[in-house]
Amino acid sequence: MERHFEKELEELKTTINKMASIVDDQVENSFKDMEDSGVRLFKEIKQRDREVDAYDNLIMAQCENLLALYQPVATDLRFILTAIKIDSQLERCGDIAVNIAQRVKKTENFRDIIVQTDLPDMAKITREMVKDAITSFINCDSELAKTIWKKDDIVDDYNKKIFKQLVEKIQSNPEITEACAHLIVLSRQIERLADHATNISEDVIFLVEAEIIAHQKKLSGYQLPE
Amino acid sequence: MVFNAQTNNEITSKATHHKHDAIKISVKDLSAYFGKTKVLKNISMTIPEKRVLAIIGPSGCGKSTFLRSLNRMHEVVGGTMTGSIIFDGEDIMKQDPVYLRRKIGMVFQKPNPFPTMSIFNNVVAGLKLNGFHNKKALAEIVEKSLIQAALWDEVKDILHKSGADISGGQQQRLCIARTIAINPEVILMDEPASALDPLSTTKIEELIFELKKDYTIVIVTHNMQQAARVSDFTTFFYMGELIEYSETKKMFVAPAKKQTEDYITGRFG
Repeated sequence: MERHFEKELEELKTTINKMASIVDDQVENSFKDMEDSGVRLFKEIKQRDREVDAYDNLIMAQCENLLALYQPVATDLRFILTAIKIDSQLERCGDIAVNIAQRVKKTENFRDIIVQTDLPDMAKITREMVKDAITSFINCDSELAKTIWKKDDIVDDYNKKIFKQLVEKIQSNPEITEACAHLIVLSRQIERLADHATNISEDVIFLVEAEIIAHQKKLSGYQLPE
Repeated sequence: MVFNAQTNNEITSKATHHKHDAIKISVKDLSAYFGKTKVLKNISMTIPEKRVLAIIGPSGCGKSTFLRSLNRMHEVVGGTMTGSIIFDGEDIMKQDPVYLRRKIGMVFQKPNPFPTMSIFNNVVAGLKLNGFHNKKALAEIVEKSLIQAALWDEVKDILHKSGADISGGQQQRLCIARTIAINPEVILMDEPASALDPLSTTKIEELIFELKKDYTIVIVTHNMQQAARVSDFTTFFYMGELIEYSETKKMFVAPAKKQTEDYITGRFG
């Protein structure tokens, strides 16, 4: 006999998968707009963001219910804690997809600048990271999650490099300052997207291996004051 | 210091304690029987001093038998056992059972105060039975024990009343006071809060936190959350075998054995 708890847990999984699928589409579409330098998908991306927000609230309510009524432990507890964290990461990814689409819209007449920078390469690797992060969560694949960390450093480097490339462009041609400023923000948004994918991967490792690995480098040798 | 939990001579898990933890009870290859039926199978484990150890497992897994073996109450209910239980350096089978039960006291599932005795006399019943009658000293012990059992403020003005005239939660704390009064070193608790309302349960749990400063506590509970809240270490029994023994936090976040995981998440048992 299937217990209520398992049924509700299954419903939570389904809700997260649906939200993740929409966010994945959002990110895909925002990058498509960037590649095509078009604004074809902007409206759709913006509209679907409401759906993402609605799922965000639904997931919180489902998690609250499961925690309050069933006091889960072990894998079940880790799954619900992970769901709360990943929900928030996905919601931010959805927002960023909208921001990316907005910046692309504002720079639609400056397609040539985008392709003269490393933005397309940065977008490509970040796209992979988001996809892998979502896949690693759905399949509970901590090995795949671990491959995402390494890519985050590459994206960080791209962000710094692109900043320099765009500053140089502004210096050589002040007339494109506004477009380049938008693209600097765009690069920063993509970098944040990669950060969220990395955070999701850390949550997946907590879920599967029960290890808290977030902030490990930063916290090495640090102890909280008494 | 590493505490090993073994079953069938095979180490199943290790619980790492703080360096200053001393071993209060050491169980080696313990088997317990009712007639020819083996209800506990080759249990080996150590119980750290002034810590709370919770024993969990489905009905019939042997957890209460294990608890009763620790102060030889298992014999009282007609059971036999093999293996050894070392308490304070000596095998309990070589110790006087009356003395042993004074040092290893027990609190049962249902509060069982002596209904014909006053609250005062309930607390000191054990002492009086042993010929201790100094009135001043008894009064001091009653106050101290009831304070330790977090009951003093509620009954200090009605000490003459029957032990059966107070609430179930108060009766259970009275039984704990009665156990404490004879100055034990270990307190065994067999589902001490299962017959109580949530408020009384909370009081018993808070009391356990206080008591572990002075006593080693072993608690059997069906309430998983209670085990998680009150204990430092948890051991999982199944069909007379010790399946897993680890720090409570680890047990409830990431148990090492699938059987443990299935039990604590309610998927069997």
